[in-house]
Amino acid sequence: MLLEACVLATMLCGFFGIIFKKNLVMKIISMDIMSTGVIAYYVLISSRDGLFTPIVSNVDRVGYADPVPQAVILTAIVIGFSIQALMLVGVMKLAKNNPTLETSAIEENNTP
Amino acid sequence: MTEITIAWIALPFFIGFVVYLLPQLARWLALAITLVSAVYAVIIFLQPSPLALQLLDNFGVSLIIDQLSSFFIFTNALVTAAVVIYCWQTGKTAFFYMQAIILHGSVNATFVCADFISLYVALEVISIAAFLLIAYPRNDRSIWVGLRYLFVSNTAMLFYLVGALLVYKANNSFHYQGLSGSPPEAVALIFLGLLAKGGIFVSGLWLPLTHSESESPVSAMLSGVVVKAGVFPMVRCALLLEELDPVVRIFGVGTALLGVLWAMLEKDTKRTLAFSTLSQLGFVLAAPVVAGFYALTHGLVKSALFLIAGILPSRNFSELKDRGIDTKIWLVLAIASFSISGFPLLSGFGAKVLTSKNLLPWQVIAMNLATVGTVITFAKFIFLPHQTSPPDPLLEGEGNIAQKGKKIQPGFWWAMAILLGGLIGANLVYYEAYTLANIIKPLATIAVGWLAYLLLFNRLVFKLPKATEKLDNLIGIMSLMLILVFWMIRV
Repeated sequence: MLLEACVLATMLCGFFGIIFKKNLVMKIISMDIMSTGVIAYYVLISSRDGLFTPIVSNVDRVGYADPVPQAVILTAIVIGFSIQALMLVGVMKLAKNNPTLETSAIEENNTP
Repeated sequence: MTEITIAWIALPFFIGFVVYLLPQLARWLALAITLVSAVYAVIIFLQPSPLALQLLDNFGVSLIIDQLSSFFIFTNALVTAAVVIYCWQTGKTAFFYMQAIILHGSVNATFVCADFISLYVALEVISIAAFLLIAYPRNDRSIWVGLRYLFVSNTAMLFYLVGALLVYKANNSFHYQGLSGSPPEAVALIFLGLLAKGGIFVSGLWLPLTHSESESPVSAMLSGVVVKAGVFPMVRCALLLEELDPVVRIFGVGTALLGVLWAMLEKDTKRTLAFSTLSQLGFVLAAPVVAGFYALTHGLVKSALFLIAGILPSRNFSELKDRGIDTKIWLVLAIASFSISGFPLLSGFGAKVLTSKNLLPWQVIAMNLATVGTVITFAKFIFLPHQTSPPDPLLEGEGNIAQKGKKIQPGFWWAMAILLGGLIGANLVYYEAYTLANIIKPLATIAVGWLAYLLLFNRLVFKLPKATEKLDNLIGIMSLMLILVFWMIRV
């Protein structure tokens, strides 16, 4: 229960960071924090029945961790990090003409 | 059939990467892919019963392919083909076609998958491919618009992932069906993701800027098919699960009215079209049973309109009124506008009739209002002055320099032939619509709309604030939407 609260707090921190941080890079980092929270939540849920790695052997039945959410979140991690890489490249390009990377200034310059 | 389906899903991704090795063939391969999709859609349409596949095992990928999917796939195929042909002689690099093919493939994937994780993967691939297409000109503005799109869609998808996990926790499966046994917060989170991705209601306010500031072929793809990738899963869920049907319908009505209100008052051609997309998506959601046909006609007409808007001499309506447009362009513009207004002989009429037959009583008044609003919006296009000779070159001086001296490529006319031909051909799907009673109503609606336009909206100058389209507000509104959807599902 406490862990779940911590995970949700991480997600919320990230979410509010995306809204309230002014700098574009900070916004991206906040998004990363939010996705860390989501990943942690997947790991938490998959460990609700136990922590053992599900490998076939002659050990007695113990509490196995659920492999499905872990497999799924692996995909999501890869996608998340590739999107972040893409966004950072975009930010690098924008930084040439907007060295401060202030979101409001960039937005003002680039909205008709 | 299973093998064909898998091969068809994998083909665009495989070809997408091969294209980069064979840049000379890029255009041909892209066109071939769209042809394959079109043929596949027809095969699916003719199948007597829906195809439900469960790949690998219990936790594997589930697919549902039925007539509803076939409409969406066919739209995707026609729109992508038109865009490829439109770009044929514009000197786009292989990179552009590669992204277009991958976008096409991932959009197709969303139209067949039936579990939340496959959907997540497909939607994220769409985000990446769409970002690369939006940012293709590599100038600051396009990169910013793309980044903004990625911010919104990625944040929404993070909420969606949490929702998907809660569905799994409740059912030990990611299948759409599990939504019924899930807690309301799971449904709210998943819907938030889809609403933002599909550009529905206030969480879709990212859409106007993104669609209006992209290049016109990219806007055509984004508006024609990509937003439907977010709408389709909602339609599918509404059809699978009775209890979600009212929620989806309410959002449909809300979006239709919101979008049309902004579209009527907008003074910029491409922004008008983007807001109209917002409202037309509302029509798609308003009657989930017949969403496929409406999505088909809307996809065709909206991509045609965006392609036309790209070759108009200006984006500002008052400037266009002063200068007039070429009669040939006006003609295609008028055909497209007539279709979206619901004029008989074009399939927009059939789609509107079919949708209005499947509305619930409480929706009827609101949707009729939205229809009149659509007519008013497109009266702005229909009543543009036109002349046979091209405008005097001396008058073009202060116009957009990039537009000046640009000749219309033959590819444009071919693209129009595909899209408008599709609009006329699609009449066959629902030819029963042609009864006297059905024909009178749209004609009356159009008359009322035109009258309202000529008497009132023509002269109305009213600027809506753009503050709602700021990035911070777009992200912030998600939290409000989350509460709204949660409350709607609880009630």
